[in-house]
Amino acid sequence: MIAHQSLKLDSLYTLFNKDSIRITNFKFYISNFTFLKNGQIVFKEKNSFHLLDLKDTNSFKIHIKSPQNYTQIQFCIGIDSVANSAGAMGGILDPTKGMYWTWQNGYINMKLEGTSSACKTRNNEFVYHIGGYQYPFNSLQSLIFKAVNKQNVTIGIELNKFFSDVNSNTNHTMMSPSLQAVKLAEIFKTIFVIE
Amino acid sequence: MKIKLLLILLIFTGLMSFVAHKDLLFFAPKKWPKPVYNFTNNSLDKTKIKLGRILFYDPILSKNNTISCANCHSPYNAFTHVDHALSHGIGDSIGIRNSPALMNLAWHKSFMWDGAVNHLDMQALSPISHLDEMGETIENVVLKLQQSNGYKRLFYKAYGDSLATGERVLKSISQFMLTLVSSNSKYDSVINMKASFSIQEKKGYTIFLKNCSSCHTEPLFTNLNFENNGLSLDKDLKDYGRIKVTQSAKDSLKFKVPTLRNIEFTYPYMHDGRFKTIGEVLNHYTDGIIHYKTLSQLLQKKIKLNADEKVDLTTFLLTLTDKSFLFNPKFGYLNFRQ
Ligand code: HEC
Ligand code: HEC
Repeated sequence: MIAHQSLKLDSLYTLFNKDSIRITNFKFYISNFTFLKNGQIVFKEKNSFHLLDLKDTNSFKIHIKSPQNYTQIQFCIGIDSVANSAGAMGGILDPTKGMYWTWQNGYINMKLEGTSSACKTRNNEFVYHIGGYQYPFNSLQSLIFKAVNKQNVTIGIELNKFFSDVNSNTNHTMMSPSLQAVKLAEIFKTIFVIE
Repeated sequence: MKIKLLLILLIFTGLMSFVAHKDLLFFAPKKWPKPVYNFTNNSLDKTKIKLGRILFYDPILSKNNTISCANCHSPYNAFTHVDHALSHGIGDSIGIRNSPALMNLAWHKSFMWDGAVNHLDMQALSPISHLDEMGETIENVVLKLQQSNGYKRLFYKAYGDSLATGERVLKSISQFMLTLVSSNSKYDSVINMKASFSIQEKKGYTIFLKNCSSCHTEPLFTNLNFENNGLSLDKDLKDYGRIKVTQSAKDSLKFKVPTLRNIEFTYPYMHDGRFKTIGEVLNHYTDGIIHYKTLSQLLQKKIKLNADEKVDLTTFLLTLTDKSFLFNPKFGYLNFRQ
């Protein structure tokens, strides 16, 4: 599976609405890959956690050995509550990956940082750290796609859509679990589009 | 013909050391509930406990290498900070809360006065990165450890390779903290029928069972829930406790019920260390309760204790002192040269 990646860190982009934005950090987890056929699970990836980091474009290529027969692929954006409550873990879940809150508990599902001319903040900065695993602030999102027995599945992540749906003029800083963070997570989910 | 007397020494060195070895790692005392900590994900091991103990006492965990966990959690005071009501951290900054005593943590389901931390492994991240405390990042701690030959050896012994990782650092510190079990006070001897209470202690125990044990529940002397025990809100600290985590109004001014084990040594008391003596605490329960909306049902009715009863209750509370815990050399300072 390859998630399409043309966006580059630290480059300036102009959105449709003429805002100019620059992304300086973009990382997120996807997890729990499940392959289904007619609604029945045919395969579940074991230990299914992936950290995608724009600093390392290879992280946007995910290799999964999947079975031949499937019609849908399901996965989550973020880390589920089980993993969030399991104590210290290693690999990409190691808290040194910068994706774990400290004073507040839990993984950061998605980090998006940069500048936008729309943000009336110091240096026009925005910081979105989206996470939270406990009701009512559970920001884990689940996605399901139609994908029939393809060898390579490409998923587009249309960040421009995120910025057009989030009013970054007022909504520019998010660093803890909250209802608003859940909203942002829901918007973030909609920018994943199968190609 | 000689009459032989045979003296047979039965020496079970193997068995003895096995028992001692087991004891050293972890044991759940008789009649206690099952620990909450999931040992299968982090099974205790001598070398890992040792590594955790060294980390616990090593200021390398803080930004300017001046503060270790033990600065605020001193072994001589059941792992709390005695001199100060509010914990002192790096650059002499003062945190907003009193450091809790650390013991029997394997039975806790959440940590911190407001339960903000959901797992013992993740606990150490907070002080390491909290500016008022150690002001460091786990990323940088791990880098510092990776550069230390002493630690490389310790990680090698504990994990079979010398690489320090965030996971290993956290799990090792947990291992050490899990061994901090206090279950050997006079109270415990009485419960296990190896000793008996004095008349005064017995009276105190009765008073305790009537007024206190619904929250400070045996055998841990905490029910591990969050309760409002009627303390007035400190106007400067404005600490509303549990509500910060749940953002639910019913949790306003609730704090995690602390254990009363070793209470003789864990002063000052309460989340902000406002009381210096057990006497002051008892006066609070009899005369100081503030009836906020979230005050526990259990404290709605006034607790009446006369001076003698307060002395009896205090005498009982002192039976919770566990010298074998407080002065256990296995919990004391250690560095990697030792
Ligand atoms: C500057 C003082 C300070 C330092 C250093 C410090 N702590 Fe703490 N510790 C505290 C305070 C204060 C709390 C309570 C905080 C709260 O409730 O918000 C606490 C809470 C805890 C708890 C939760 C106990 C419970 O019953 O909920 C544990 C466990 C703990 N600390 C372990 C550690 C470890 C391990 C380290 C070293 C990595 C450490 N502490 C370093 C002050 C400190
Ligand atoms: C409704 C539950 C409840 C009852 C009943 C109760 N307590 Fe507490 N107790 C608490 C809570 C909660 C705290 C921590 C409050 C805080 O710091 O905000 C506490 C704190 C304490 C402390 C301070 C411990 C420390 O390490 O700081 C002592 C001592 C204490 N209680 C003794 C008693 C005694 C003695 C009684 C009976 C007369 C009693 N409590 C009854 C809930 C209760």
